[in-house]
Amino acid sequence: MLKIENLFLKKGSFVLHKLSFEVEKNSYFVILGKTGSGKTMLLEALAGIQKIEGKIYFKGKDITDVPPEKRNFGFVYQDFILFPNMNVEKNIKYSSRYKKIENKKILFDDLVNFLQIKEILKREIKYLSGGEKQRVAIARAIYSRPKILLLDEPLSAVDPTFRNSIMKSLKDIIKRYDITIIHVTHNFREASFLADKVAVMLDGKIMQIGDTFEVLNEPKNLEVAKFLGFRNIFPASFLGFEQKDKYFTVDPYKIKFNTDNKEGVYSFTCTIENIMGISDHFKIFVKVGGELFFCKVHESIFDISKLHEGENANIYIDKKDVTFI
Amino acid sequence: MKDKGFILIFAFLGSILFLFLTIPLAKLFISVGFVNVFTTIQDKQVYDSIFLTIRSAFYAVVFVCFTGVPLAYLIARYNFWGKSILESLLDIPVMVPHTAAGIALLITFSNGYIKFIDTTTGIVSAMMFLSAPFLINSAKEGFKKVDIKYEHVARTLGANKFSIFFSIALPNARNDIINGALMMWSRGLGEFGAVVMIAYHPMVAPVLIFDRFNSYGLKYSAPVAADMILVSVCLFLVIRFVNNRLN
Repeated sequence: MLKIENLFLKKGSFVLHKLSFEVEKNSYFVILGKTGSGKTMLLEALAGIQKIEGKIYFKGKDITDVPPEKRNFGFVYQDFILFPNMNVEKNIKYSSRYKKIENKKILFDDLVNFLQIKEILKREIKYLSGGEKQRVAIARAIYSRPKILLLDEPLSAVDPTFRNSIMKSLKDIIKRYDITIIHVTHNFREASFLADKVAVMLDGKIMQIGDTFEVLNEPKNLEVAKFLGFRNIFPASFLGFEQKDKYFTVDPYKIKFNTDNKEGVYSFTCTIENIMGISDHFKIFVKVGGELFFCKVHESIFDISKLHEGENANIYIDKKDVTFI
Repeated sequence: MKDKGFILIFAFLGSILFLFLTIPLAKLFISVGFVNVFTTIQDKQVYDSIFLTIRSAFYAVVFVCFTGVPLAYLIARYNFWGKSILESLLDIPVMVPHTAAGIALLITFSNGYIKFIDTTTGIVSAMMFLSAPFLINSAKEGFKKVDIKYEHVARTLGANKFSIFFSIALPNARNDIINGALMMWSRGLGEFGAVVMIAYHPMVAPVLIFDRFNSYGLKYSAPVAADMILVSVCLFLVIRFVNNRLN
């Protein structure tokens, strides 16, 4: 449905390096990246706000040079950007001044009910909370009947207690309003809950793209693994493999101490560096041949009397728990 | 206690300037007397002169609203070659001696195509030349304060550049534009040097004050000055009040 080919954009110190990807109709596409990695600039490029090199196709049609007002992509900024000279209702209905909105009365009433904003319709923008602003900004964007909704970190200014219900609403928007969503965030939890597909973007480059589970659990390179918070990333040569540019990672919970099961495992003798008790689990740092492994053991299965800092022990990693990068 | 000392010192320093600015005005009204102030304003020549001053300064503001505000928007929103030179050039009228500005305007416009000397057009031009930067600079700062993202969002909602200017940029920069317009207008009201070079007649209030002072002395010029100040202050207060109510 939306196809991006070699999108290049340089603005100040920000560069988007020839990005290419596709977004399917009525899907929830999340671009995951660090703050300052060019995510907002990418959304602005898709909306037509930034001039780009490369091509953007929508339903097979080249829309690269179509201006934002003709492109029909809705945009919700991180700070919502509600017009301060209008109240909530006028903000939502702003697009009807400039384009014909089909069934606008029904759509408006439905949005008001769906996003629960009936009570605040006449309120001035300066009197809205973060969550209210967010719902109004989404209503305003959807009211313009966009084909694609671009969301720039829409949950970052929302109280954490409301995030779950808002995430559910975001997910429902796709079917309810026949829309495709492209959502940028730095939050893995949002990506994991919302996305059908995820692209990881670092320093203006798309490092990995694919189904959510696959991307979040099987990073294809070192940068993505580090960004996604994978721990215990070491060269594959550590396990006896010869490739120099190959790495492996293992979940800290999957490293076992002094286990009886020694079939199909990698085993190492280690020195216990540090043991930290954290509420329901223990964090244990162990040194194996110069590399520091980070292990987590749940307190219910951990016998602290058997491990002491400075002493040697054995750790075991099941081969099926090793992910190669 | 330390705060109290700090505030007292600063308040003392500020009050010196405050008194310097207000005592001459108060003294003017006291020496003229309120009866005299109201009698003088009924003098047709004084009334016509004050009205001409207010009207001419207003025309100058209106003209710059239509021409200078769009220019301010361009400067605030776009980067282009020669932008900083343009900004410097726009500030020149604030720096030049007013009589020199009058001479420059005379050389430029007294070619016969426009009736310029001793006309309202000439007066408006003189006022506009010297006071336009106040409105342009204020509008420019106002537009800069309006987050560009408002305009980006408005475009995604279907608005074109003109619509955005009128529905987003202008309303949200309104306070700065009104303040700039007031500054420009008040600057125009007081314009003497350039106006007197171009149009001694019809007499604007500052020229009338000068004329009466020159011909009859302080006693006859002071009531006109007091009337001019009174009318200006009243108009200022009304405009500010209306603007605050609109906010």
